[in-house]
Amino acid sequence: MPEGSKMKKPDVKVVLLGDMNVGKTSLLHRYTERKFKDTVSTVGGAFFLKQWGPYNISIWDTAGREQFHGLGSMYCRGASAVILTYDVTNWQSLAELEERFLSLTDTANQDCIYAIVGNKADLTDPKAQLSHDSIGVSEDQTQCEEEMTEPQILSACPTPPASPESLSGLILHKQVAHEDAVAFYGRILRYKGLEDKSSLPPEKMCFETSAKTGYNVDALFETLFDLVLPSILRKRNENQESPTVDLEVCRGAGGRRARSTCC
Amino acid sequence: MCLQIVNNPLQLDCLERSPSSPAASSGSVSLGVFYGTRKEPPPPFRLSFPFRCLQRVDALAEMSVKAFELVPAVERDLLMGDKARINIECIECCGKHLYVGTNDCFIHHFLLDEVTSSKGKLSYSPQKLLHKYLGLKKPVAELRAASALERLIVLCDGIVFLVDMVTLETVPSAAGGGAKIRGVTSFCINENPVNGDPFCVEMGVLSSKRRTVQIFMVYEDRVQLVKEVTTPEQPCAVSLDGYFLCLALATQYMILNYNTGASQDLFPYNSDERRPIVKTIGREEFLLAAPGGLGMFANAEGVSQRAPVNWSESVIGAAVCFPYVVALDESFITIHSMLDQQLKQTLSFRDGHILQDFEGKVILASTKGVYVLVPLPLERQIQDLLASHRVEEALILTEGAQRNIPKDKFQILHKRILQQAGFIQFGQLQLVEAREHFRKGQLDVRELISLYPLLLPSSSSFTRCHPPLHEFADLNHLAQGDQEKVLRCKRFLISYLGEVRSTEVANGCREDVDTALLKLYAEQDHDSLLDLVASDNACLMADSVPWLEKYHKYFALGLLYHYNGQDSAALQLWIRVVDGDLQDSTRSDLYEYIVDFLCSCSNQDLVWKYADWALLKNPTLGIHIFTKRPVCKDHPQLNSDDVITYLGKHSQALLLYLEHLVLERKIQKEKFHTHLAVLYLERVLSLLSQSPTDEQQLSSARDRLQSLLRESNLYRAQSLLGKMENCEQLLLERATLHGKLEEHDKALHILVHKLRDFPSAEAFCIWASSCRDSAYQQQLFHMLLGVYLDSTSHPGKSRTSAEGGSGDLEMAAVDLLNRHGEVFDAARVLRMLPEGWSMQLLRPFLGRAVRASMHACRTSQIAVGLAHSENLQLLHDRLKERKKPIFVSEKKGCHLCHNTFSEPDVVCLPGGVPVHTHCVAQRGSGTAGLPTRIHNNSNNTDAIFPLTAQPAAAAESRAEQRARLLKQQRTASSSISQLVVTGRKPLLAPQSPMVQCV
Ligand SMILES: Nc1nc2c(ncn2[C@@H]2O[C@H](COP(=O)(O)OP(=O)(O)OP(=O)(O)O)[C@@H](O)[C@H]2O)c(=O)[nH]1
Ligand SMILES: [Mg+2]
Repeated sequence: MPEGSKMKKPDVKVVLLGDMNVGKTSLLHRYTERKFKDTVSTVGGAFFLKQWGPYNISIWDTAGREQFHGLGSMYCRGASAVILTYDVTNWQSLAELEERFLSLTDTANQDCIYAIVGNKADLTDPKAQLSHDSIGVSEDQTQCEEEMTEPQILSACPTPPASPESLSGLILHKQVAHEDAVAFYGRILRYKGLEDKSSLPPEKMCFETSAKTGYNVDALFETLFDLVLPSILRKRNENQESPTVDLEVCRGAGGRRARSTCC
Repeated sequence: MCLQIVNNPLQLDCLERSPSSPAASSGSVSLGVFYGTRKEPPPPFRLSFPFRCLQRVDALAEMSVKAFELVPAVERDLLMGDKARINIECIECCGKHLYVGTNDCFIHHFLLDEVTSSKGKLSYSPQKLLHKYLGLKKPVAELRAASALERLIVLCDGIVFLVDMVTLETVPSAAGGGAKIRGVTSFCINENPVNGDPFCVEMGVLSSKRRTVQIFMVYEDRVQLVKEVTTPEQPCAVSLDGYFLCLALATQYMILNYNTGASQDLFPYNSDERRPIVKTIGREEFLLAAPGGLGMFANAEGVSQRAPVNWSESVIGAAVCFPYVVALDESFITIHSMLDQQLKQTLSFRDGHILQDFEGKVILASTKGVYVLVPLPLERQIQDLLASHRVEEALILTEGAQRNIPKDKFQILHKRILQQAGFIQFGQLQLVEAREHFRKGQLDVRELISLYPLLLPSSSSFTRCHPPLHEFADLNHLAQGDQEKVLRCKRFLISYLGEVRSTEVANGCREDVDTALLKLYAEQDHDSLLDLVASDNACLMADSVPWLEKYHKYFALGLLYHYNGQDSAALQLWIRVVDGDLQDSTRSDLYEYIVDFLCSCSNQDLVWKYADWALLKNPTLGIHIFTKRPVCKDHPQLNSDDVITYLGKHSQALLLYLEHLVLERKIQKEKFHTHLAVLYLERVLSLLSQSPTDEQQLSSARDRLQSLLRESNLYRAQSLLGKMENCEQLLLERATLHGKLEEHDKALHILVHKLRDFPSAEAFCIWASSCRDSAYQQQLFHMLLGVYLDSTSHPGKSRTSAEGGSGDLEMAAVDLLNRHGEVFDAARVLRMLPEGWSMQLLRPFLGRAVRASMHACRTSQIAVGLAHSENLQLLHDRLKERKKPIFVSEKKGCHLCHNTFSEPDVVCLPGGVPVHTHCVAQRGSGTAGLPTRIHNNSNNTDAIFPLTAQPAAAAESRAEQRARLLKQQRTASSSISQLVVTGRKPLLAPQSPMVQCV
């Protein structure tokens, strides 16, 4: 049973956004359970509580299906970090991020951190094909090997035969270059009006990962957690500074009301 | 162009994944949103079934929890009989009172009594109190009770009005205002109003025409509009909590604070397509029907704090009955847990169209009947979960119920569930988890111990708790004969008991715990057994003794006896092991252990009793019992004389003991020394008497004897001498004894004449004079020289071969002189030496003697010279002191007695004042710092030097100088013995250390 089932109050929220099938659920599985396994398209949303030092971080896995699109804003409300996920073998999935998902993040915190993640790197990048999970390597390797025999058949599915890159042979499926993601990151900053500030550089915030092999997955989550920590600390301090809030907190849910009434 | 290309994969993908999609979106069982269920989706859900019913049946079989039971409350015949047209439209329940509104504009009032059958099965016996036609010919759309006001709020034909709860009569409008609101589509009651007036009810009202929400206060006989807020779209469902309105608008849900007007969009929803659901489920938290058949949670801030639950698309009603979310669609009631979002139970329910919760009671209605969804007691649900080994779910459910149960009750329940969970995991050999749960649940460890046959002491009063915490008879039952499992369980218990035995969990059952642990350790051959029995423990003897015997753990048993104060039993047991009567290989050095044990044993009786055995076994080690006894205050010491008596029959041990006393502890008692010397002697004599003498042993025995004889001064030499008087082999010893008795001539005679051992003779002289002055030494050496020379001058006396013998002695004499020339008085020696000896022979001696004498003479002269010069210096100083002459005459009076002087002897006071010597003596007697009179040899007036304060350093340096001088003089003194130095430091003036030649 995941830790998420215990009713701890999270200190901070991280949200995974992205089109269906890009591998959000798989990424979260890989990170929390160190495994790559069958998933079904997520219904609604789900979250996982991660203990990070003394803090509880809730990671929300959202549904990419159009049907649940409307819920995105709600999930993003008050988020400290948003992971915008696309599929490196699917150019449209990056386009969708800009067209559909970016606006959902309007409800996130002012100082929210954005990461652009191109998943399924194992399909395009040889160095992402090795198993990267330090824990349970043997178990995973067998799993991987089993699947390695198949990708020729499997991976043919997401990419249409007409793909221009398909002519170039080895990197058959790569549709989204890293530069595209970097450019998109720049547009996000512009959209958020953050470009002038000393915002986080794209090299640091654009990842290519593979939930299947574990490539870059820990790096992604851990970089983010380290970056959101200041946000947690500030939130804690705010709560300590205002005595009125403290009183409300004692009464339970009152704290929330106090804040929403004043705005 | 790009777009075209990329659109394709998406579509393809959808197709590819489509088989699983219906299952996912159907809101049914298969897809708990929570990962827990996704880990290993049970096989039936991987396949997709065309018929949902089938799926549900499978789901039921696979994962149902019985959380609720559907119990009929009011059935058709009580309501409408066989009138097919009449349907239930709305219900309200208030305590035992149930109100039902129908489409023919009637309100029915029932009293619902709960009846519990003897088997504990609950049912309702409804009693119809009243029914009333409202006279509007329209269906009664909504009914809400305001019990404090004794009113029912009714919505019928777009009009809200009040009805008496008892009579069901419509309440007429009061004089001050109306009791009716028109054009209403829907309303809700604020269960949690900010305004605390108990005699009015706050109500949110949606009207058909305007885009507004109106807040009314409902009083006994009137309603009053207090607030009106506009909404961006036409609202169609509302819920109210505190100041917060949660609204379903045409295209979205939103939260609206009617006090501040602040609003918060939640998420889009098409209210035309699907009926929206808005339920207040707790403080400022709402449950909403979301697209895709989701049940979404949202708080007043617009944040979702729980993951959504996955209903079907056609949900009609939903309610929360903590910790479950209950939802109703056309044919099923689904029950999800809010704790893990999983579907827990599905109940078939046809024609359902109302599901509402009233004060925690969930009531459903089909068109024709009313049912209550009765939650099964939490404990029963948990037990059901546990029975199907769903440990985690059971724990989540328990912990989730914390806030609904009084604290103390919860703790008891929680502990029990943790314990049960632990046992389930224990049975599955998930020992890490089991341990954690046992620990958290503060399991009475005896529950666990009692699973292991024979571990609990027979005297234990323990009985397993009832109802039982697990289903296992014992470990064998659990392991089904798998010895590997049994072993793992045993190891687990070992480590678990080891962990808890010192915690409060073991309070009150320490005997049981420690005894069980002892048994396990013994059986498993565990190293910690010894630690357990040797340290603080509560092992029961009655059980432990036979058990340890059974496993041949005699050493451990001995330790346990010892811990329980039964040292004698321990010793007896160990002795039997050492003697080979019993087998236990725990300690190969058990004998040494016993010796150590006796050595530090404070019970003297035991020591006397068992030392005998130990000494017989090995005297050298055994004697440690007596020699290694720790010396400390609270450890009773054994009387040495008693020990010696006791050791009488153990001669070797006795010797060791005496050596210990004399040589190690250096006890100065004649008795011990003599005894030891006698023993040594006896040993030597016995070795001598053996026919082939073992030279090595003999010499070591003699060495010991000799060294004792030499070093000790306490033994009775005379009696020892007596014992070896006629033993010609022990001449050296005899010489030593003679030496002790100061019979040096005899000793030297033996050494020189009998032994002819000249180096020993020399060594004897040095040894015998070692603590004496040089004169004594000189005398001894002269004696030796005499012995050598004597026999030379009287060759006839020498019994041994005359020619070689005397030559030997002469050479010995020469060697002696040449080696130890400094000891001798050269003049005497020269007188003793035979005339005929060549100078050449004695050259080293003579050379040294002459040089030494010369040296002494010159040193003395130097000393004399130095003394003279110092004396001169002092005289000079004195003269300076008394520059003026002092006159003494018969006419002059003494300053002290005022008599005149009659003799030339006077004492001079400071300032040159002459006084009588006797006057000074009288005055200063007993006083330190008295002027000292010093006589001169001359007849002149005596001089006296006043004492003056003097710098200590100066005096010191002078003193040192003198000391040095004195030393030099001493070395030279043999020839200048007349030189006397006086110098009583405190009495001397700075320049007046007196050196007086008498
Ligand atoms: N080769 C490869 N396949 C991946 C990877 N990550 C996910 N997949 C596959 O992509 C498909 C979709 O993965 P999910 O994790 O369910 O995708 P999602 O983003 O959660 O989708 P929604 O829940 O519908 O939004 C699954 O078949 C995965 O096996 C990856 O890193 N490499
Ligand atoms: Mg998903």
